[in-house]
Amino acid sequence: MSQHPKASTSLLTTEHLSWRADDTLILDDITFAIKQGSFTGILGPNGAGKSSLLRCLYRFVKPEQGIITFEQNDIWQVSANDYAKNVAVVLQETPSHFNLTVFDVVALGLIPHKGIFSRANTTDNEKIEQAIEQVGLAHKSKQNFENLSGGEKQRALIARAIVQSPRLLIMDEPTSHLDVRYQIQVMELAKSLNITVIASFHDLNLASAMCDNLLVLDRGKLVCQGTPKEVLTKEMLSDVFGVCAHISEHHQHKVPHISYYYGYLTSENEHGEHHE
Amino acid sequence: MSNTGQVKNNNRAWLGIKHLNQTMLTSIAVLVCIISFFCALSLGAADISFVDVWQSITPAQANSEIGYIQRIIWDLRMPRAILALLAGSGLAVSGLILQTVTRNPLADPYLFGISSGASLGVVILIAFTGGIFTVLTPIAAFIGSLVAMMMLMLIAGRRQSQQVESMLLAGVALSFLFSSLTSLLLYHTDPQAVTAVLFWTMGSFSRAQWENLLFPTLVITACITFMLAYRRQLNAMLLGDESATTLGIKVNRFRLVMLLLSSLITATLVSMCGGIGFVGLMIPHIVRFFVSQGTVFGILLTALVGGIFMIWVDILSRTVLVNQELPVGVITAATGSIFFLTLLYFRKNRPS
Repeated sequence: MSQHPKASTSLLTTEHLSWRADDTLILDDITFAIKQGSFTGILGPNGAGKSSLLRCLYRFVKPEQGIITFEQNDIWQVSANDYAKNVAVVLQETPSHFNLTVFDVVALGLIPHKGIFSRANTTDNEKIEQAIEQVGLAHKSKQNFENLSGGEKQRALIARAIVQSPRLLIMDEPTSHLDVRYQIQVMELAKSLNITVIASFHDLNLASAMCDNLLVLDRGKLVCQGTPKEVLTKEMLSDVFGVCAHISEHHQHKVPHISYYYGYLTSENEHGEHHE
Repeated sequence: MSNTGQVKNNNRAWLGIKHLNQTMLTSIAVLVCIISFFCALSLGAADISFVDVWQSITPAQANSEIGYIQRIIWDLRMPRAILALLAGSGLAVSGLILQTVTRNPLADPYLFGISSGASLGVVILIAFTGGIFTVLTPIAAFIGSLVAMMMLMLIAGRRQSQQVESMLLAGVALSFLFSSLTSLLLYHTDPQAVTAVLFWTMGSFSRAQWENLLFPTLVITACITFMLAYRRQLNAMLLGDESATTLGIKVNRFRLVMLLLSSLITATLVSMCGGIGFVGLMIPHIVRFFVSQGTVFGILLTALVGGIFMIWVDILSRTVLVNQELPVGVITAATGSIFFLTLLYFRKNRPS
């Protein structure tokens, strides 16, 4: 399905995207299209270029070659502020030593929508409170953002994205460092927003459960894309991730479920017999 | 911060309380500021009672009996107190800008060598033109502070977030470099000028006069207005460059403008009252301890508290020694360095 994107339904596309840092090719000729309303997961081993690809998508770095379009417009042709009105980004936390309350952090989502001298009015404040409530942090909105746990910080940042009221949400490894419970909570929260989401993942099973479209990167190249069923195969896992795995069907939502084989010494045949 | 009030389930009600608290805090600060200002007019070498102060600043009541008191208040103490207020709020705000855009909690114009750069600029001007404190002084100070800021940015590099310590070290080294150059130049300058310059480098408000107050007033009010206008963008910088970019902010340009602003404030104040250290470090931290810096009140309170602090430092400097004036920089350095050490101690002991 995503191999043959129709221009009319795709929200974001990239064509022959390449980017290099210090003479090393980080992204190599990447072409894909993201459908409106889809939940796309970007997979790949460490150093495959997941974060770099996302950085290109949210305009932090400018690709060397290729073009990225959002609603058929080159993203570098629109103003930074207009792009921020449409695309919100949740990044991994950056430590800082300053006290901003959760409310202040969520209020940052207003920046693209506000002129420099305009005050936040009642509707804005209501929007902020609503977003904080939506992510379940109402009781913590006056607390220092730095004192929150990792999962709460991610949720606060998602609340900021909600206030930004974007059409596309980009998340860079939103679930790393989080407990299982919060991994699921954060992803379901993102899913509940009913907007197009692009997120990079480490946990392949989580990606399989959450996404309807997966992109797999390996050493800067886009090696495959499609639905979890099409992408998550034994062959791909051994080629790209270098692991041996058994793929079954998740008993709840029927998506592929991966169980890894451990141990380097036993041969592959024995693996199969032991585990099946 | 977290245990200041009972947790309210109703978010809206709580917001109201927080809002009130901040408004109250700000009004208290304004009140304290006015009282401090009165004290500054009243206390000093010549003892003037509050009643006399009141009478001489309300023109209707003016009478010839207290003519000389009026002269002291209007010509000497008033401009001085205003300059102290301006210097305090300017330096505090300048420190707040530096701390925010470099995401470095130890940032301060003095510690980063920006003040010494400005001083060097002024001393070079004096050494080569001979004239002490002319119209060119603020310009020389600004150029000096810009050079210092540029060197700091080049040395400490672009990844400021990871280089809190290296930036501080570079700043301190720069400040020593500029101070030594200043001393070298002074060595070759006319001895009479040297005394004046040395006293000035330690910080003093004695040059306060009505006619030279206009420029710093304009600069500092303009800068504070600018900061208030861009307060959201400043907050966004605290969460990192990348995050700020995704909110539509042109991060590099914004940081540059803010750093220029900070240099401008510092240079203006250095050219007027010399090197006054640690205020920019101390005040934002103290204010941040009580209110979130993310709001309008956070910025206003920083400016106000800085002003109040400086007024009292000035009062101290005029009254501690009989018939003599203690350099302002000595007092701020003494209080500030103790504060700085405490801050470092607690930073080290905090689990990161």
